[in-house]
Amino acid sequence: MSEKYGNLIPTGRLLDGKPRTILFDATKCIGCRQCVHACKDWHDHPRTSVYEFSSSNWIQMDPPVLEGLSPLWARNSCMHCEYPMCAAVCPVEAITKYDEGPVVIDPVKCIGCEYCVYACPWGVISKDEVTQKASKCTMCAPRVSEEKSPFCVVACPVGALDFGLEEDMTAKAHARASEVGGETYGENEAGGTQVVMVLKEGKAAYGLKFILPTKYPAHKIPLGLMLKDLFTPRCGIPGKLRALYLAVVHPKRLLYRYWPRRA
Amino acid sequence: MLNGELFPARRTTRLPGGYMGRILRVDLTTGKLTDENLPEEPVLRKFVGGQSLALYILLKELPRDAAPYGPENKVVMMTGPITGTGFTPGGTKVTAVYLSPLTEYTLGRGASSGFWPVYLKAAGYDGLIVQGASQRPVYLFINEGNAELRDASRVWGKGARETEDLLRAEVGIADARVMTIGPAGENLVRAAMLCNDYNHNAAHSAGAVFGSKKLKAIVVYGTKRPPLHDKAKLIEAGLRWRKTLVVRNVDEKKTAGHAEDLHALPNLNYRSSLIEDHARGFDQNRITLRPCFQCQRLCPWDVEVMEGPKKGAVGHFNAGSEWLDTFFNLGVKGNEVLYLAEKINDLGIECSHFSCGAAVAFEAWEKGLIGPSDTDGLAFEWGNVATIDRLLDMTARREGKWGELLAEGPTQVASVIGGDAPKWLVHTKKGTPALHDWRPHFGQMLREIVASGGMKPQGGGSAKPPPDLAYREKWGPLDRDDPTGWPWSQVLSEQYRQFCGVTGGCWFAQMHMKPDGLKSVADSLSATTGWNFDLDEGMIAGHRSMILQTIFGTQRGWVADHDWQQVGQRFLEPIPDGKFKGFTIGKWMPQMVFDYYRLSGRHERTGRPFMDTLQKLGLEEFSEWAQLD
Ligand code: SF4
Ligand code: SF4
Ligand code: SF4
Ligand code: SF4
Repeated sequence: MSEKYGNLIPTGRLLDGKPRTILFDATKCIGCRQCVHACKDWHDHPRTSVYEFSSSNWIQMDPPVLEGLSPLWARNSCMHCEYPMCAAVCPVEAITKYDEGPVVIDPVKCIGCEYCVYACPWGVISKDEVTQKASKCTMCAPRVSEEKSPFCVVACPVGALDFGLEEDMTAKAHARASEVGGETYGENEAGGTQVVMVLKEGKAAYGLKFILPTKYPAHKIPLGLMLKDLFTPRCGIPGKLRALYLAVVHPKRLLYRYWPRRA
Repeated sequence: MLNGELFPARRTTRLPGGYMGRILRVDLTTGKLTDENLPEEPVLRKFVGGQSLALYILLKELPRDAAPYGPENKVVMMTGPITGTGFTPGGTKVTAVYLSPLTEYTLGRGASSGFWPVYLKAAGYDGLIVQGASQRPVYLFINEGNAELRDASRVWGKGARETEDLLRAEVGIADARVMTIGPAGENLVRAAMLCNDYNHNAAHSAGAVFGSKKLKAIVVYGTKRPPLHDKAKLIEAGLRWRKTLVVRNVDEKKTAGHAEDLHALPNLNYRSSLIEDHARGFDQNRITLRPCFQCQRLCPWDVEVMEGPKKGAVGHFNAGSEWLDTFFNLGVKGNEVLYLAEKINDLGIECSHFSCGAAVAFEAWEKGLIGPSDTDGLAFEWGNVATIDRLLDMTARREGKWGELLAEGPTQVASVIGGDAPKWLVHTKKGTPALHDWRPHFGQMLREIVASGGMKPQGGGSAKPPPDLAYREKWGPLDRDDPTGWPWSQVLSEQYRQFCGVTGGCWFAQMHMKPDGLKSVADSLSATTGWNFDLDEGMIAGHRSMILQTIFGTQRGWVADHDWQQVGQRFLEPIPDGKFKGFTIGKWMPQMVFDYYRLSGRHERTGRPFMDTLQKLGLEEFSEWAQLD
């Protein structure tokens, strides 16, 4: 696994190393948001708004209307990219890609620089206003390492969510897509992800973004944000030192961090 | 333990898991809002929550001479410890209790699910005590533990759906949840409902009591969650509970509903029970399941009518399907029924109250007792959608003679029509049963008639013995031609339904006929609270709730004899046709009612609990109301 990534991003293993995928079947979804609440419940997150991403709301079922009051529903949450841009830009290696699929932020390492927030093509990372740490869906990595499905998947009352080995889920998604005359989303976007969706209409109808099949897609971190970190006490002295050290050890990552368009 | 105040200024015992710890007292006369601490742990363990805890509070506080619409009437609303944990099915319930405006002397109870009860807890409260009466229309807004009364003049007169949308916008919180009354509650229609989260209603008059207090709505929002004693265990018990669920589906929403299970459907004021093409056109509709908070039973649903004269109409319903039979009973079939059902819910009229009243008027028209000169030209013809549509508006606003009468209820309709009309009534103690044709079914009929001296039952009357109780119960025969087993079955099923309710659970999600269907509920309660609640204790908690319900009636002049004496004649007539033609439980009355009360530790004629029943249940403080001989 790590060969695939060089030393571009931190990698790790939770279980058996076999990649897994979340399958979201939009043709079955009724927009009940039980997955959204289940995520909050499992993580003891406060019952904050289900309509926007926050450090306590990791899934957004769109459109932002009451449960069930839309004919189409899109799941917006971390896609667990195979080539996660968020991890590539993180100056302190706080984000790890696990072989089994999860892309996980370590809040202890995170210095709150927000690079990942801007780099994620799907815009699913939030920063906690109090702790100043980045936060997003973890694919329930601790559950995955116990061979359990993510809790949102367990919660779905109509079987619109599924979880399993990547090859099985992909096959299932294709079978279902051809059955309903729809298409899949997530297999190729951003070089491939570990969330695959079955859509019955085009992705635009679901408000899903068009993302090129480029690994580590081009992105933009505002210049102000980058400079701020160099010249202000933001992110703390240890954070800066760690970022500096890692820049020296892994100079290639600077490409992503400071010359992002040259991905 | 019951020395000291009910709401301690400072708790001296542990607050068990699952509770937020506070009740909000809302005095609408003075505008004062007060936080009360939840009772001490021993009281909580006895009454748990829901109807039982709410009623215990009501019994302590409601003046004996209170009138249903007087400012002295109170509405006590309680969730339970498993409401809103997120880890069990059916953890969605709030139950309101008050003096019933329908019977005027027994307990009124309305219960609802959806999301509102969960967000009441998220706002920091387990329940509410609503007392006094406001001069002008107000709504209560509770946001993260801060409560305020606000002017409701802008939404007064509006239907439930629109009020919900307007108030959510007014408070500016998209996640806020709204419980409201429609015009029916404002105009004191005796069976007005509370409506919440579009698809949910608390029937049996709570809305009318809100209306009498000029309280239009309660808007709740918050981010708190109930603390859990043992989260891992709760997840395990909740998943077990989930496994017992019979999951509802879209296809069953294309049928005539619960009538199909009962093999009987009320036609033209219960004069035929045949199911014909009542559900015509339903198969073409667009249906969406719209479940309650974290419940996989999938009861609530929305419909978009795709066929017929009401094409394009939208409806928001819960599973019950009484509102289907409501209009079938008036001779309407097909998708116009769904249109009318949405309307009656939006106006906030309990559907059976309207149907049983209007059906008597329609039958009187058919038989020539009344004619156009009595109805301001409206044709009271079976299946006349325009008339029914108009009558709904008139009822909700008490317009004209028929609006007034239908708002009052079926018995008033019949007595004004006179002649034989009183013989065509379906009612129990002036209230109306959940609108189905229960008549072919022993257990359900007994349930509707007794309801522990209240007017509405909380589940009960099961025809199948729960496997989870096999360890302690031997069932008598539950046969159609033998009444022996039924009273005991009713006593038990009322206990376990009440038990599920007092936990804060929804009895629609409680699958007593499945193995683990009751045990998983008890285990969920134990994991949440830290109590070691087994099924025996659960059954006692349910029993206690039943007895409190009768004590409330006893205090105000109810006796058990009223249960079988005050029943509409039509409700006890033999089934006119169909599979169960000729059947009636009438021939076993009143013996079945006697048996029911005796077997549950109450006197068969007065309904008062015996002293040893009170002792067994730890309710000695109510010995004043015991049957002494
Ligand atoms: S979707 Fe965004 S946050 Fe998730 S792995 Fe991809 S880049 Fe990272
Ligand atoms: S906020 Fe910065 S440090 Fe934290 S995970 Fe994102 S990129 Fe890494
Ligand atoms: S729980 Fe399932 S059906 Fe409900 S919103 Fe989530 S994915 Fe859709
Ligand atoms: S059983 Fe039905 S009504 Fe009760 S909480 Fe579940 S979905 Fe709602």
